[in-house]
Amino acid sequence: MSLAVIDAREWQNRFDLETGQPRKSDAPVAEMAARVLSRHPYPGDVDEQANQWVTDTALDLISHYDPDLVCLSYVQQFFSDRHFNHSETERERLFAAAMAEADRFVELSGFTPVIVGTGNMIPLAGDMDLSGLDGLAVSSNWSARYCGIHHPSPRDMEFLNSLDTLERIVPRQEWIDLFQAAQPDLEILQDPRLMPDFLAVAREGQAFKTMGTTLRKPVHIPANNFQVPVVSPFGPVTDLREIKPLIRAHLSTHKIALILVEGVGESFFPESRYMVQNGVDWFCYEPGDAFYLTLSTGRHQPFAYPAGFRSFDKDADAIKFPFSGYMDAVPGHTLGLNFPGKSIAVGNRSMFMHMAFGVDISIECFARNLFNQGCMAVVHRDDK
Amino acid sequence: MKCQFCERTCDLTNGRSFCGMYMEENGRVLERFPDQWCTYNPSRIESVPFYHAYPGSRSLIIGTAGCNFRCRYCSNGFIACRDPADLQEVMYTIPADRLVAMAKKMGCHNIVFNVNEPAVSLPSLERVSHYARKEDIPMGCLTNGYTTESATRMMMEIFSFVHIGLKGFSNAFYREFVGIPDMTPILRNIRMFAQTCHVEIASPVIEDVNDHELFDIAQFIHDIRPDIPWHVFRLLPEHDMKESLYPNIDRMDQALETSRKLLPYIYFHNFVGSRWVNTQCPNCGHTVIKRFSLGCSGDRLDEFLAPDNTCPECGTPIPILGTRVAWNEKQSVSWEAIS
Repeated sequence: MSLAVIDAREWQNRFDLETGQPRKSDAPVAEMAARVLSRHPYPGDVDEQANQWVTDTALDLISHYDPDLVCLSYVQQFFSDRHFNHSETERERLFAAAMAEADRFVELSGFTPVIVGTGNMIPLAGDMDLSGLDGLAVSSNWSARYCGIHHPSPRDMEFLNSLDTLERIVPRQEWIDLFQAAQPDLEILQDPRLMPDFLAVAREGQAFKTMGTTLRKPVHIPANNFQVPVVSPFGPVTDLREIKPLIRAHLSTHKIALILVEGVGESFFPESRYMVQNGVDWFCYEPGDAFYLTLSTGRHQPFAYPAGFRSFDKDADAIKFPFSGYMDAVPGHTLGLNFPGKSIAVGNRSMFMHMAFGVDISIECFARNLFNQGCMAVVHRDDK
Repeated sequence: MKCQFCERTCDLTNGRSFCGMYMEENGRVLERFPDQWCTYNPSRIESVPFYHAYPGSRSLIIGTAGCNFRCRYCSNGFIACRDPADLQEVMYTIPADRLVAMAKKMGCHNIVFNVNEPAVSLPSLERVSHYARKEDIPMGCLTNGYTTESATRMMMEIFSFVHIGLKGFSNAFYREFVGIPDMTPILRNIRMFAQTCHVEIASPVIEDVNDHELFDIAQFIHDIRPDIPWHVFRLLPEHDMKESLYPNIDRMDQALETSRKLLPYIYFHNFVGSRWVNTQCPNCGHTVIKRFSLGCSGDRLDEFLAPDNTCPECGTPIPILGTRVAWNEKQSVSWEAIS
């Protein structure tokens, strides 16, 4: 039973991760994680100190737990660039600072890094208001490229087909078939009724205005990053899914840090970078749950909290894992799962690091829509 | 000509209202941006938070733009404190009948206005209520309560459940942190709402700023009706007070001790995992409603243990508007039926 330690500054509580019910635990690992939490209050998603928080918290955790595998995510520059209008010079400084923070971690920890960028951000060129459909259009806070269309009328389809800002409209089965061709054992975890009938795909630079999109209009959104940059000392990879087996193959001889830097493209990576495939055909992962899970599990996860998922029709009365965002089950095949060595994760992409990586201990910010609620440690294992 | 929606009673003769949402045309006060909404999204009613109205139900959350307050700590300042004209490209144009149809389409049991202040969009909301009433969909709202008597009566017609912010208990606090000279109209309106609507009250607490006024607020609520639920929010200051310290949870909890002797339904939350979100029977102490809090806009019902809105142990009535509603109880109507 996994333990969640919530730190709301000067106040901590412990809960069962699955049920959310208060739970007592004085296991030494939980005590240690709680002390690390209390030493590192989260500064906030767009605060420049947020990336330093990742490094400092990770180094503190490492000094007390001595892991072999570390998973980190640096996201401050993504949140800041998405919502605020910085000058080009300032934008470049933010992205460079994020990479520098990753370098600082590597230098101070001595871990061998595998650094993954989620790709460039570009200015929002326009958005499509789909609130007038007869059916239902559902996008998500963090998606720009994808929008689910449920029960469209013929009038809706005519309207959608008339939009030159739309790249394509993909029937659900065609979307599934695309990935099943690439990966026959594809997992489709969600209740099919909750999935959209069609996936609307925006042209690059365009976003959707629908139910579920944010009140804060984005300034920059992810580009169509069909390839993303990776730095790996273990040789080349060509596909995002190859990173997990590559890391697992070298963990017996190296202490490895998998580091995600969101919103950062190849120009901020050293020349030794590899550009790796980030999706299939017309589909590329945006920063978010599906990207993290594909990276961590080494399997495509295009249906993990995709845009368009009709989450509000899930049975909210029986929800599990209330601290874990949209996840309602512990994912299989994650990088940290079944790894016999010690593993940790630290990140400021809130509320799903602990699920995405399946490591022994994770510490992550507990922030929603930029509202800073504190931070959380999850202890999946305390017996190593 | 003066605007009659809020107690600022702005002179519209040479311009627009303080909130930026009203203007004068041909001797009438008109909305500048009718039927423009900043969001529409299904959410749990506990996340608003209403704790004693339709427990477990699914609300269509809506909001507009602008506000008649300028709270220095506003959490939604990016919508409420900006010029509404600048936000129009973000907004959705959804006529009232269509908004109600959307609520039905998404299986929502009620409609709740909760992003900014409803007084700045009352004609639009009145139109929504017209269609909502036809469909038997009740409406609720969060309001700061700073409305004229006539607008308050209008709101009492539109909304059957109202969550009113009572942000402090001194004119000094309201002057310095909210930007209005006198809180008397708010107290008057709370009394008015309590006559016909289901009322819950929220007080955001900022340590060393308004925490010393908590008991006065409790006393005021008690004098109206002790069974009014009171939500004390641990405020995470935003906007102009972003650098302020977070209120200490244990100290705030202790500060509420004396108030708990006056009011049986005090909730202390707006932070993850609050242990002060359950409802206890005021007679025997039995827990009759269990909730879970994820902080801002993340509360939910865990267990409802008060069948027929009474304590199962001692039979004491628990004041709840409506009855417990299961999230998926009412299936979404078919698309074809409403399009």
